[in-house]
Amino acid sequence: MPDSESIARSDHDVAAKAPCKLRAAGLRKCFGGIEVLHGIDLDLMAGEVHALIGENGAGKSTIINILSGRISPDSGQVELDQRIAKFGNPLAAKRAGVSIIAQELELVPTLSILENVFLGAEPTKFGIIRWGEARKKVAAVLRELGIEAEPSQLTRTLSIADQQLVEIAKAIVGDFRVLIMDEPTSALNLEETSRLFKIISRLKAEGVAILYVSHRLWEVFDIADRVTVLRDGQVVQRSLTKDTNSAYVIQSMLGSKSSLISGGQSKSKRNFVQSGRPVLDVRDLNSGGLLRNISISVKAGEVVGFAGVLGSGRTELCEAIYGLRKVDAGTRILLSDRPVELDEPKTSSRYGIFLLSEDRKQEGIFPHLDLRENVVLPNMLNKSARGKANPTSENNIARTTGFGVVSARDELNIFEAMRRSLNIKCSGWANKVTQLSGGNQQKILFARGRIAKPSLMILSEPTRGVDVGAKEEIYAAIDELAADGTGIIVSSSEIPELLRLCDRIWVLRHGQIVSEVKSAETDEEAILEIMAG
Amino acid sequence: MLKSLLKSESLASLVALVIVVIAFTAINGKFLSRLNVEGIVVSASISAIVSLGMTFVIAMRALDLSVGSIMGFVAVIAAVMLSYNFPLPLVIAAALLSGVGLGLANALLITWLQLPSFVATLASFSVIFGLSLILTHGATVTIHNSTLSQLVIGRVFGVVPCAALIAAVVFIVMTIIFILTPFGRHVAAIGGEARAAIGAGVNIPKVTTGVFMISGTLAGLGGMMTAGMLQNADSTIGTGAELMSIAVVVVGGTSLMGGRGNLPGTVLAALLLASIKSGLNVANVPSLYEGLVFGGILIIALMIDGMRRTQRRKGMLVV
Repeated sequence: MPDSESIARSDHDVAAKAPCKLRAAGLRKCFGGIEVLHGIDLDLMAGEVHALIGENGAGKSTIINILSGRISPDSGQVELDQRIAKFGNPLAAKRAGVSIIAQELELVPTLSILENVFLGAEPTKFGIIRWGEARKKVAAVLRELGIEAEPSQLTRTLSIADQQLVEIAKAIVGDFRVLIMDEPTSALNLEETSRLFKIISRLKAEGVAILYVSHRLWEVFDIADRVTVLRDGQVVQRSLTKDTNSAYVIQSMLGSKSSLISGGQSKSKRNFVQSGRPVLDVRDLNSGGLLRNISISVKAGEVVGFAGVLGSGRTELCEAIYGLRKVDAGTRILLSDRPVELDEPKTSSRYGIFLLSEDRKQEGIFPHLDLRENVVLPNMLNKSARGKANPTSENNIARTTGFGVVSARDELNIFEAMRRSLNIKCSGWANKVTQLSGGNQQKILFARGRIAKPSLMILSEPTRGVDVGAKEEIYAAIDELAADGTGIIVSSSEIPELLRLCDRIWVLRHGQIVSEVKSAETDEEAILEIMAG
Repeated sequence: MLKSLLKSESLASLVALVIVVIAFTAINGKFLSRLNVEGIVVSASISAIVSLGMTFVIAMRALDLSVGSIMGFVAVIAAVMLSYNFPLPLVIAAALLSGVGLGLANALLITWLQLPSFVATLASFSVIFGLSLILTHGATVTIHNSTLSQLVIGRVFGVVPCAALIAAVVFIVMTIIFILTPFGRHVAAIGGEARAAIGAGVNIPKVTTGVFMISGTLAGLGGMMTAGMLQNADSTIGTGAELMSIAVVVVGGTSLMGGRGNLPGTVLAALLLASIKSGLNVANVPSLYEGLVFGGILIIALMIDGMRRTQRRKGMLVV
């Protein structure tokens, strides 16, 4: 009898001995008439790391927002320590002991690290903030996280990696029993990630219940005890991490689409003329001490990569090529053998250079506009693109002079074509871009670049915060773009991505190029070694 | 040189002040006469008090366009009450309370009706100005009680005008609130990144109400002091004060984008602009040109603020 009972027991009851800290039961939520969560059950045990994974759009963010008090479910309930909890706002959740590390940075750039960490939770005596005591706490946490900045430094002066670490510091200072971590390592390097994992182990030992949300499956299998897979608003798998593996989990995530996974380092054959003219030729680029003696070149149809830890100068190099960063005199930049001065983005885009920035929230999407406008608008401002974008336009004046009205129908056709080829998940061109998941927003920005038919496209962290399925789709789109003859630069912190996409990879360290490798002749370990120096 | 000027906001004002004083004294030695300097100090003190309130508002990335009309209204209330022989302490209390009340009204327009502060305070400015006109029937009310005047232009320790002392107290209190209280830090947080403030649990309507009530109170105080200084009040008191105080705040180094507030800079800038106003007077520049001069100063200050932001973006200014 005990045997049949134990077989009937579901996976998550295995851990029922430990007290359940936070339990969500039957969560449902609708956005704009569409139900995105169809009755979710989830529980977090004290002293355990529970990973929640799923494609973008599967419902992870919605669950996190409910658990942290940012939104309320339409039905279902949340229990904290076996008592029903109705968090009306983020502060209530925080006070109840639920701490969250948000995926999008929520720092005030004009305030110091110290002020940001204690925002909303300032320690006071008779109404006056006790800065001395607060500073000590913050200094200790900064040390534990390995941040070298002073507590009094303004957060806008920090690198993105350090900002993410401050976001983490915000969550772990103070009292809390539940910690929700949403993509906490997206901007961190290996060393910082391992430091974070040490902190997670410490918190586990202290009995904190941890919900870990990440696209990086290798991290999940490294740190999590249990894993729950979400697909299209439903739980499709619940396991102990030791009872499953990443292939199985990916299948659960993708369902019928699992055949999309290429599974290896396979790269589509790329045709580019070996002796062809370089689209971009950079010689002796120096920029304000951040970049030194950089020389690179990109041929039409070639995909090259920049590898290097955050802070190695990758991002700065992309900015310099696009005209967002000043370069010192003596730098020579040639586009198709023509020397140019790229002093501002307008010049670069006129020359056919397009940049997909790594910070799509600040420097990419137009948050107040709909999808069609996000894709089409910047290209309407570009005369040459307009002509190309309306090959069948009856309005010849528009084509020859660049002036005139662009037909709405043409705009929609362009948008639909991009939506199909990139498989952008949305309900229509009129959706607000902020309603899309991260991966789909990235596809929108990519579409914008595509229709501009650039001669050179610079992609900075093109799949940051993008799930497995969408990643493959973006990679395919990049292959296609290269086949069309665009020269492409990919700057990324994920080596497998660089190996998958690029023909040649430059490794940067401390603002200089330390090596150039052919991806066919190297592997991840070798590149990591070069990066580490 | 330009870089260091860009870096320190207060340094620029100080340098400008020194240049201005030297220049105007060279034009007319009377600039540095005791009477003139006292006049500048009193005028700067009143301007500083109102501008300190505006500093909070701008740090929260909002605007209060009604401060001028509040000054006028409270000045009129004070003068009218004094003409009916109400005791001075009561008059002062009533005046300050009016300021608080008007500030509260502004806050309600913004938080309940969800109006942008620019729009809400533009509306209240018209209404309050109208109320002042009704109260005075367009006439000037004379103040016969000289105690109020003494409280403003009378000298403390025989040297410093009272107004400066009041301004100093306001400055100290505002600084303590801004730097040492959660409320003050929340003001800056909301201005810097409202989304982050919401996520941290800051109560934005509550903080907004507090900020506009403070702005209203200080405007009321400024209005009352102006009435004391002039020994009379009419509805034109405070005309242009809102634009002037925005200029003072921006010249003082606080960015219109919000997120930070330079309170000492505001005080310095109040002194600077009051000196320039007096200097233009002493140099016999027709008052018609004043608008031009102060408009130009505001534009320069905004340009510098803009340049600072661009330099920051290009990674060339780390501060």
